[in-house]
Amino acid sequence: MATLKVEIVTPEAALWTGDAAGLMARSSEGEFTILPQHTATVGDIVPGLVRVATSSGELAFCVHGGYFQVGADEEPGVTRATVLAGIAERVSEIDVARAQLAKETAEAQLTSTADLDEATRAQLLGSLARAELRLRVAAR
Amino acid sequence: MAGGQERILRRRIKSVQATRKITKAMELIAASQIARSQARIAANRPYRQGMQRIIREAASADPAAARKMLTTPDKVDAAIVLVIVGDRGLSGPYNSSALRAGDRLVHMLQHQGTSVRLFTVGKKAPAFFRFRGLEVEQSFTGFADRPTFADARRVASTLAAPFVAGEVQQVLLVSTRFVSAGSQVVESEQLLPLVMPSDMEVDTSVGLKGYTEFEPEVEQLLSELAPRALESEIFSALLEGAASFHTSQQRAMAAATDNADELGQTLSRIMNRARQDSITTEIMEIVGGAEALRSGK
Repeated sequence: MATLKVEIVTPEAALWTGDAAGLMARSSEGEFTILPQHTATVGDIVPGLVRVATSSGELAFCVHGGYFQVGADEEPGVTRATVLAGIAERVSEIDVARAQLAKETAEAQLTSTADLDEATRAQLLGSLARAELRLRVAAR
Repeated sequence: MAGGQERILRRRIKSVQATRKITKAMELIAASQIARSQARIAANRPYRQGMQRIIREAASADPAAARKMLTTPDKVDAAIVLVIVGDRGLSGPYNSSALRAGDRLVHMLQHQGTSVRLFTVGKKAPAFFRFRGLEVEQSFTGFADRPTFADARRVASTLAAPFVAGEVQQVLLVSTRFVSAGSQVVESEQLLPLVMPSDMEVDTSVGLKGYTEFEPEVEQLLSELAPRALESEIFSALLEGAASFHTSQQRAMAAATDNADELGQTLSRIMNRARQDSITTEIMEIVGGAEALRSGK
């Protein structure tokens, strides 16, 4: 039987690996679904939800931007899908209160400080975007 | 009197033993950190390999785009050198060998007429280069022991900016690679333009067997991928540097503990001799005194 092996990896650790029925995410060109026997593909993933359908239900991951590669595994009949993300987490593990606090802190600092240097500003915008994504994904 | 010397020796032994306690504790701490930092290298491996695999795949799909992205210009007017060392000393040759290699590299580049902008990671670097009259443009400190990906990202974005702006044509890295627990090697390598990962390092079991689809197009993908790959390479260098640091420190502190043991033994031997000497002298004096009394009778 054709199976799909999914790996979701971050630089700090492999977040999740296992067999799945399908993987759904959004790239810069739109939503896509990867099923077993998918053709070899390399692409990007825009920040958002990555869903993995497994035999025991659907797993949701919050991915803050990354890349994916799909290809045939050395094992015949197995398709491997690897998601590489700088930052990613299980949606069930998102701390909503913390994300809310992070969002408010970042917003407050962005509006209250007039002359931010570029690096700090980019950092604040980044953490604001991450907090907003976490909240959006968790509220789904 | 000889008792004075004995007291001095006793004090020295005590100080050697106190030092030994410290070195022993540092040895044990470093040993526990080795395992942890090795585990972090292992945890990083899937990501790094996945990144290299994607780059290879993209590069082999569109060699023209790859050549544009991955080729070093013949003439390098300006280059960035990043040297990664530790925040702390007492780690044997770990800091000094990477610093010396960095120093050599900078001199070599300057000799070739390339102007060098120096960036460093680790508290030990700025003082070294300042002493040698080299200006460090920016030094990152505070995370050499336990680097996080966010740290790597910060370093990467600082280094990528001048490269993207065209101010430098090359970014080089000098760091200690953790080959195994018994061997750490200082290496210099090129970070930017990206180096095509060699066959050795990449597991080619996935893909590469036919047509691969790319979304977005390869050229755009490669240009977006470059900064991510830089982060990944810097992060792995930081992780390996941390592991090498702990290994080197463990070894240095084990040697220091052994030396302290030996010194303590030598000193206590000298002290015992001194004590015996003083006892002998005392007996001689008593006997001599008794003899004198008897003969005077």
